[in-house]
Amino acid sequence: MIKRHEFHKPNRALQLYAAFFMGLLYIPILFIPLFSFSSGLYIRFPIEGWTFQWYAQLFERTAVLRALENSVRVAGSVAVVSTLLGIFAAKALVRYRIPGKGPILGFILLPLVVPPIIFGVALLLMVSTLGIPLSLYTIAAGHIIICLPFAIATLLPRFEGYDAAMEEAAADLGENGWYVFWRVTVPIILPGIVASLLLTFTVSFDEFVMAFFLGGNDLTLPLYVWGQLRIPRAFPVVLALGTLILLFSFALVFLGLKINKRGSIKIMDRE
Amino acid sequence: MTITHSSDGLGTTGARRGTSSLRRLLARFESLRGLALLAPTLVILGITVIVPFLLMSAMSLWTQIGFDYADDWSVRNYTTILSEPLYTTLLLRSLGMAMAATLLTVVLAYPMAYFLAFHVHRNKLVWLIIITLPFWTSYLLRVFAWRVILGYEGVINSGLMEIGLIAEPLNVLLYSRTAVIITLAHAWAAFALLPIYVSLEKIDKSVLEASADLGEGPVMRFFRVILPLSMPGVIAGTFLMFIPTVGDYVTPALVGGPNAQMIGNLVQLQFGTVNNWPMGAALAITMILSITLVGLLFLGLMYALRRWAR
Amino acid sequence: MTIRQMISGVKQGRLSRRAFTRSLLAAGIVPVMSSPFPRRAMASGDGHATVFTWGGFDVPELYQDYIEKHGDVPDFAIFGAPEDGLTRLRSGFVSDLIHPCMGDIPRWRQTGLFQPIDISRLSNWPDVIPSLYEEPHNLEDADGGVWQVPFDWGQTSITYRTDLYDLQGEESWDILWDERYAGRIGMLATGDDAWWCAAIKAGVPFEEIHTDEAFEAIAAVLREQRPLVRTYTDDTSSLNQALAAGEMVAAMTWNSSAVELTFEEVPVRFAQPKEGALTWGCGFMLHAEAPNPDRAYDVLDALISVSAGEFLTGDYGYGHSNARVLELFDDEELAALTLSRDPMDILDAGHRSIPQPPEWSARMNTLYEQIKAGF
Repeated sequence: MIKRHEFHKPNRALQLYAAFFMGLLYIPILFIPLFSFSSGLYIRFPIEGWTFQWYAQLFERTAVLRALENSVRVAGSVAVVSTLLGIFAAKALVRYRIPGKGPILGFILLPLVVPPIIFGVALLLMVSTLGIPLSLYTIAAGHIIICLPFAIATLLPRFEGYDAAMEEAAADLGENGWYVFWRVTVPIILPGIVASLLLTFTVSFDEFVMAFFLGGNDLTLPLYVWGQLRIPRAFPVVLALGTLILLFSFALVFLGLKINKRGSIKIMDRE
Repeated sequence: MTITHSSDGLGTTGARRGTSSLRRLLARFESLRGLALLAPTLVILGITVIVPFLLMSAMSLWTQIGFDYADDWSVRNYTTILSEPLYTTLLLRSLGMAMAATLLTVVLAYPMAYFLAFHVHRNKLVWLIIITLPFWTSYLLRVFAWRVILGYEGVINSGLMEIGLIAEPLNVLLYSRTAVIITLAHAWAAFALLPIYVSLEKIDKSVLEASADLGEGPVMRFFRVILPLSMPGVIAGTFLMFIPTVGDYVTPALVGGPNAQMIGNLVQLQFGTVNNWPMGAALAITMILSITLVGLLFLGLMYALRRWAR
Repeated sequence: MTIRQMISGVKQGRLSRRAFTRSLLAAGIVPVMSSPFPRRAMASGDGHATVFTWGGFDVPELYQDYIEKHGDVPDFAIFGAPEDGLTRLRSGFVSDLIHPCMGDIPRWRQTGLFQPIDISRLSNWPDVIPSLYEEPHNLEDADGGVWQVPFDWGQTSITYRTDLYDLQGEESWDILWDERYAGRIGMLATGDDAWWCAAIKAGVPFEEIHTDEAFEAIAAVLREQRPLVRTYTDDTSSLNQALAAGEMVAAMTWNSSAVELTFEEVPVRFAQPKEGALTWGCGFMLHAEAPNPDRAYDVLDALISVSAGEFLTGDYGYGHSNARVLELFDDEELAALTLSRDPMDILDAGHRSIPQPPEWSARMNTLYEQIKAGF
């Protein structure tokens, strides 16, 4: 190579565009935290004054705490179940010769692209026909469908990325299956597992559509927020709650993606 | 992907080596062992996806009478959908709005993906994380944020009035198709960006250098090398965004107003106020079929374009 | 702070918006416990009753007696419109109590999802205004009880900005059909309100509302109105903010919007249209398989208590089913709230919807959705 071509050089226009794009992406979201500190009941400029009162009120609302508890329960179990299933499935897809591997993977990843309302109403139809009461369990069932693709997408590259010879060596030393799995496989794919847990937790924690169709009388946080949007005087408190939800989700996802250095991005290759 | 022999899997829970005949069978038929590992996932997806789907297809052929269904197996719901302008218009509108939002997003995301692929050399991962971060988090709140921005007393209106550009708030921002398209584009930006980025990232830099050495200018090079090579990513991004947005109902419900309701709203109503589940099922299935049709048409068009370009 | 102080405060210009907000906050804070993590919030499987109701009825002020007895508010689920709620109940959702209106009772009973309520278990029942529950639909086959315990009553009418809307002549439903204000009219998204109000506007007698001619006439006026409508919504939050901002000059609302906006010193009036308003009474029905029936009775008793009524009337502007609540307000205050000492004065002065079969409801809702979408 004789000279460095211009596609290696910094490009001022593109840098400006990148800044503009990031602005487009983030500024709209930042208005939620901004107005959550505004003392006015309605959202409007100029901001009348600053206050923490909406946050204070938030913690006095038992309904919020109940919804939080429900959301954590659902998201926690969904994260564990979909990650476990994801580990099995990813291992199977990478390590074994299985007929129809492509279609199976496609089927598992399908919920990434099908409008969630379709799964929501289809599941509602089944649950209602079978006479199963709507509850946190039905929400969790719906969330597992949505979270599985994310779990697999996070875990597959982990299994692809390490040498199966390690497992074989351990097995040849006479260790049994579980031992090999726990002492060899798990430590290697651990970042993937942690990332999958964090990401699926967040997806379930923030999911609204499935919860809307499949929810019973126990509300999750997004359902609570939806209900509160109707009430004028609850508005600023919803903004405060939304700010906390956003912060929490951002932290979890950032951690998850950071731990899992590849994964969710690599999976796009498959599409 | 290499398929290696692995001597022990999870399918054989705790059994000692070579004790059960089932185990030996599994060892002999590797694919069976793989399937055993996949089984829980497939069973769960079977119960939560396939069965409900079959049920929904069946119910779409029923009729709602008062509080009951008549399982009279007629295509009445479908003929209603095809003959009543309400359903066809909303379906076409949803496809159109999803297309507009997708186009907007792809056009906006492409330069960003290009920047990431070719001009970011350090901390690439952090960049990618920061871009995808909003996508993972509360959809409801992101839509809601746009209500805050576009509202009559929202950020844009009160901001413009504050600096004296307008005297009266603009009425056209909220409750319009544009509002829905902007909100959708914003909500899905990261999803469409990733595949484009991946396809750009994969382009072999030496191909670019060769093209430059042949004396092609940057514009030429972009259209003759980079754009064609990144098309798979663009197509993937288009699909990933277009399909789910057709069925969205939260965005039109919150920022849409009467002229921007989409087919998803209609489906939701059948399962809510209108209380006609068979009709809702038929609408949902019509939605999937039309998305598939549009998708196939799009792929066909891309294929034709590629042949023509050669 | 009660309506009495509010109204006089606002009248004399003493009560600033800020003071109002502060008083609302105080009202919200007092009844709730101080610990951020109350005992039971983290415990699993608590036995609280579940109340399935409209947004805004999930505030602790309405459940004082229940809170005193059980330490916390019941669980809530929120619907946009009762018909929505019924669909959910029929799809397997179980709540102890649900909040439909009088006209819904016969149709809802048909679903077999409800059980009669034993009034002897309600200590506040003797104070309940009889005319609100003495309906044949509510009493028949109820084993001496009722199917629905009446709770709130009021009107569906028009809230309009007195400063922005130029009223010519008498108040009338024509306000919502005023072409001078195209794009600045708000409508309720629920057919249960909008359809009946449109019937009044179209001059269709409620006895004939099931006929094909009525469907045509009502659909015609709603279609005529659609180009004028800014948005159709159930959510009073959107309507109130739009009215406060002047984005809308008039909207179809319930009493509470006008009262809340008046508290905020927005110049509005709750119209008394010359054709008559739509009047309604709503209440709570008990699920046949209520998981917590004992607690549900405690909720009912709390809801029909004087303290709940004082809040419902004083802060929301709705009528309450407990006769003693009306004694807390003088005639001027009641008139300001467009209420009356005898609920029947108001309910019979307007038009009350007549129970309809599910087929009618399905046809009406389907048609109204079509009209809203522009067809």
